[in-house]
Amino acid sequence: MKPLRQDLVAAWWRTFAVQGSWNYRTMIGGGMAFSMLPLLRRIYAGDPVRFSEAVGRHLGAFNSHPYLAGMAVGALARAELDGEDPERVERFRAALRGPLGTVGDRLIWASWRPACLLVAIAAFGLGLGPISSMFLFLALYNVGHIAVRIWGFRRGWQDGLGVSKALHERWLDIVPKLLAPLILLLLGLDAVLLSRQVLNVVAWHGLFAGLALVAAFVALMAFRWPRRTGRIAVALVLSIPLVWLGLAALNG
Amino acid sequence: MPLGDIPLHATSWLILVALGGVLAVDSVSWPQVMISRPLVSATIGGWVLGDPSAGFLVGALLELMSLRHPPFGAARYPDTGPAGLIAGSAYAAVGISSLGSLVAAILAGWAVGWIGAISVQFRRRGNERLFSPEPELAARPELLEKRHKTAIRLDIVRGALLTAGFLVPAILGAAWVVDQPESGLATIWGAAMLITALAAAAGAGGRTSSFGIGGWPLLFAGAALGGLIAGIVG
Repeated sequence: MKPLRQDLVAAWWRTFAVQGSWNYRTMIGGGMAFSMLPLLRRIYAGDPVRFSEAVGRHLGAFNSHPYLAGMAVGALARAELDGEDPERVERFRAALRGPLGTVGDRLIWASWRPACLLVAIAAFGLGLGPISSMFLFLALYNVGHIAVRIWGFRRGWQDGLGVSKALHERWLDIVPKLLAPLILLLLGLDAVLLSRQVLNVVAWHGLFAGLALVAAFVALMAFRWPRRTGRIAVALVLSIPLVWLGLAALNG
Repeated sequence: MPLGDIPLHATSWLILVALGGVLAVDSVSWPQVMISRPLVSATIGGWVLGDPSAGFLVGALLELMSLRHPPFGAARYPDTGPAGLIAGSAYAAVGISSLGSLVAAILAGWAVGWIGAISVQFRRRGNERLFSPEPELAARPELLEKRHKTAIRLDIVRGALLTAGFLVPAILGAAWVVDQPESGLATIWGAAMLITALAAAAGAGGRTSSFGIGGWPLLFAGAALGGLIAGIVG
């Protein structure tokens, strides 16, 4: 039986919790089955054996970017509705894992999220209040977040096993490339504006110019060797209380 | 500072502990609308204790420092919801006049973030047991739904316990630091190291999102623009 609109909405809503039972054995497999249940119940209404077999197929190991998991939920449910061969469905499921993760990580975690965060920090640095800046981030980010979830689920449900062509749409490649320069600009801007805030705390702006050169050099090193310099940055912050304690001991 | 001056009471403690659970579950389990980011969680922490600006500043610093840890695949990354909440609360609780309390709040947030990451690993191992044996769950979908929801509830409890365990120690730590005499040299060292770490975080974060465009000149252009604005604003 074809799922009703309310089943589709219920399945889409459940994809927000697709990582709820994340584990090292099946990753989001449990969440996938959980999200698909409203659709599978309708598709296999009156046939408990096939229903149970379908649930078992979708409980297995799966991983993807959480926002694009809805695309897999929609596509796999459509394949079940179309009566595709179970082996083919499982092969398709396995093939979908990598691309959904890569595309989502690049689009959301490495582009959209940092861009929205940096816009909000810049707004705060330029005088917007903290609460407004926080809500600016949440509103901006979630417009994109919800749009991607809706797009992914709809495309999956419409295209079924042919959904992989959706992952080659140009905007998925263009958006990260367009956001990259903005992110870099904002990172530089925000680092300086936040440094100013730190110096406001110590009320010593004489440090600003002298530190700029050192900071620029360190930023360049970090850009070239992010992992190594990131660890050095942690060590620098950890050195602060140690040096303070040392100076306090010296002063008696 | 006198403990009586710290604006943390039983009610605000309970609110923050409950928020710790809500912010922790957003990070991975549900619904991932990013209230778990340190920028948001630290601002909320500061807001509850009366100073959202202090929370936002700590949150922004933690945010830049955690940009290098995107949640790719099964990678381990800091649990920023409770961490930001605790850091923002600690800094807001003791007042924003001291670099020492800022550093203490950042270190508390950083430490709680990684302790939280370890607790997430334990929870994930627990989920493995919740989702075994698979054939039984396939045969009883209502059990699958129940276990999935249980896993989400346990994540809320995990976040609340993390906040309950570390909130007061973090605030007391920041209050203790405020009471210590600050020498000029120590302050210069602290500010210099914090800003240098910020620069390193910006560079490393930029690399994660640059996608091979070789964009360090853009990073520097942004910094120059920031310097110009800072110069104009004063």
